[in-house]
Amino acid sequence: MRELELYFGPQHLGMVGNFSITLKVEGDRILEAQANPGYLHRGFEKLMEYRTWIQNFPMVCRINVIEPDSMEMVYAMAVEKLAGIEVPERANYIRTIVLELSRVSSHLFGLWAYANMLGFDTVAQWAMYHRDLILDLFEELTGGRVYHIYIWPGGVRRDFPEGFKDKIVNTLHSIGSCIPDYDNTFFNNRLFYERAKGIGKITQKEAKELGATGQVLRATGEKFDIRKVEPYAVYDKVDFEIPTREDGDAYSRIWVIRDEMIESVHMIFKLLDAMPEGSVYNKVPNPFKWKIPKGEAYVRVESSRGELGLYMVSNGEDKPYRVHFRTPSYTHGLVILEKLLKNASIADVGNIMISLYVIAPEIDR
Amino acid sequence: MDRRDIKKWFKEPAKMGHKYSLWVIYFCTGCGIIEIPPVITSRWDAERFGVIPVATPRQANLFLITGYVSVKTLKAIIRTYEQMPEPKYTVGFGSCPINGGMYWDSYNTIKHLDKYIPVDGWIAGCMPRPEAIFIAVTHLWTMIDKGMADGYLKYREKYKYYRKNQEMALGKLEWSPLYPRENQK
Amino acid sequence: MTEGGYVGVTASSMIMTNKKLKEELESTFKDIQVIVPEDTRLNITAREEDALTILKFLKDRGFNFLTLISCVDWIKENEFELVYIITSYLQKNDEYTQREKLQIILKTRISRTIPESKTVTPIFSNAEVYERELHELFGIKFEGNQRLIPLFLEREYKIPPFRKDFDTREYVKEVFDKIPFV
Repeated sequence: MRELELYFGPQHLGMVGNFSITLKVEGDRILEAQANPGYLHRGFEKLMEYRTWIQNFPMVCRINVIEPDSMEMVYAMAVEKLAGIEVPERANYIRTIVLELSRVSSHLFGLWAYANMLGFDTVAQWAMYHRDLILDLFEELTGGRVYHIYIWPGGVRRDFPEGFKDKIVNTLHSIGSCIPDYDNTFFNNRLFYERAKGIGKITQKEAKELGATGQVLRATGEKFDIRKVEPYAVYDKVDFEIPTREDGDAYSRIWVIRDEMIESVHMIFKLLDAMPEGSVYNKVPNPFKWKIPKGEAYVRVESSRGELGLYMVSNGEDKPYRVHFRTPSYTHGLVILEKLLKNASIADVGNIMISLYVIAPEIDR
Repeated sequence: MDRRDIKKWFKEPAKMGHKYSLWVIYFCTGCGIIEIPPVITSRWDAERFGVIPVATPRQANLFLITGYVSVKTLKAIIRTYEQMPEPKYTVGFGSCPINGGMYWDSYNTIKHLDKYIPVDGWIAGCMPRPEAIFIAVTHLWTMIDKGMADGYLKYREKYKYYRKNQEMALGKLEWSPLYPRENQK
Repeated sequence: MTEGGYVGVTASSMIMTNKKLKEELESTFKDIQVIVPEDTRLNITAREEDALTILKFLKDRGFNFLTLISCVDWIKENEFELVYIITSYLQKNDEYTQREKLQIILKTRISRTIPESKTVTPIFSNAEVYERELHELFGIKFEGNQRLIPLFLEREYKIPPFRKDFDTREYVKEVFDKIPFV
């Protein structure tokens, strides 16, 4: 059979985000895949060198549109580490709650994309509706639906408004009450099993060699999670499980996402009960004249897709000297995707890519 | 709304047809795409306005540029836009296509989208809310009604200049001009 | 806190591992500077030729996860600093020890006029894309990496855009602002 070159994306229905893959195919079988990113490259790390420490907060959240809070968190952590700022206890609790809420909303988005791709339109509609309910919470708390700019160095921008705790509980209860419906229509559905079982399979050894984190690694049975490995905020004070699966295929990855969502909801309830009173913000120096002492820092958090790290160098100036984000989709989308697509069929490209949870802006930055 | 005005349907059936069935090309050009799934699903339900996402540019007549446009994406946008059948409308979604927005000093994003392809309307904000899309759509109805949404005519008329700008940003384009005769003038 | 599967680590045992590793590194390699800025970090400064062997050494001791390869442009000293951040996956499943907390930052300096280094892909295969990125954005050549093809950029730049002497604001003025409105 003749060998052909096929461009998959950037304008393609099976593609979530502005990303493209060049496939070498023979019939329906993929011989070789080459990820082709760069459609969303804005040179963030360069632009951040031109802006002051505080001006960078509206910048960082825009790197990842699905889950901006973990981006803010990792930047705030790096700034706090370099400048030696303490965070009040209540602010840490609020940060953790916000991060977990955004993890749920991000996973619901992932579920939307995956269910939509498999043709489970009903489930996709539910997931998107439930994500919107969480965005409503964010809107009340921070003023923004998508970009929040809520986590600041020294704490969070404002305290919970009155009655907000009850609203979180109500919203999460109404989402949680639909989990049996999700299970019946999607997760326990034979069609989902048939489409996803054995697709995009990766062993634990290969995953470790290629630098996988997040669900991709946890779906192979390893309990690697930065929240446990190197706890930040108040993750060391709250009790939670790391859900894993053994098989390392698309089916396992989506199940891990589901279990993580439920675990996050339980965690939010526990955090809301344990939340102390107090201030939510430690004052930082005048942001217009703020200079951070010389030094370097590498901090990492667990975003909804895996390890999100930030390497930052300060030169003692009012601007960062160098920032470099280590994003989870970078290895997943460029290394593991290329490997898994080898010998797959064309129909499975979307399946593999979305189950790896690849978010294009995170790769390109 | 004149959707039920039967006289108008008899008078200008084609215009009424494409006015109330604005099909959006499914192309995630930037981070604004995050607001499209809520818009097309049950909560905001864009189908009330006749807006649905379609797979290929051949079926679409509305191009929603969602967010910043990098140089690499601009190429894809131009190719997609040129494949769409006329009449076609373009709406810029978010601050970035208007004047660069947050990325005004980025070396890899273009600043003014209307230098490269004609744009009929803008939705400002970062991120605009889903309702803003509906307001833009209703505005576009009015504009189509009054014959003001003539971006595609302008593109044909001034293709020479658009093509020159595109080549300034992207270098030599590997596809032949869409309107060769206009290009020679 | 054993309920959550998290086995607490006292600070003193942490320092012990760091110190042990530091001694081992200093005895094996010459011209190496090892600093322990805090309990969970280890900064190594080494010569560029030794980077590969140090990485191999660390990988043999269980630090099997290359997190990031970064580069810092020290324009005043006319040098690039390559930064390798290495940590490890879990040693035993179900148990969180001090091992995974430890992150090693290995730094080497190369000349800015002839930016060349050796690839680390034989040791960490996911290094390939990081090196591709640095090749494109900083113009560093990695000897032995077969796939240094363009990654992100569409236009060609005289100076690679992430270098400090590339002024993006100047570039925007020169290129994009000069394109006229139609």
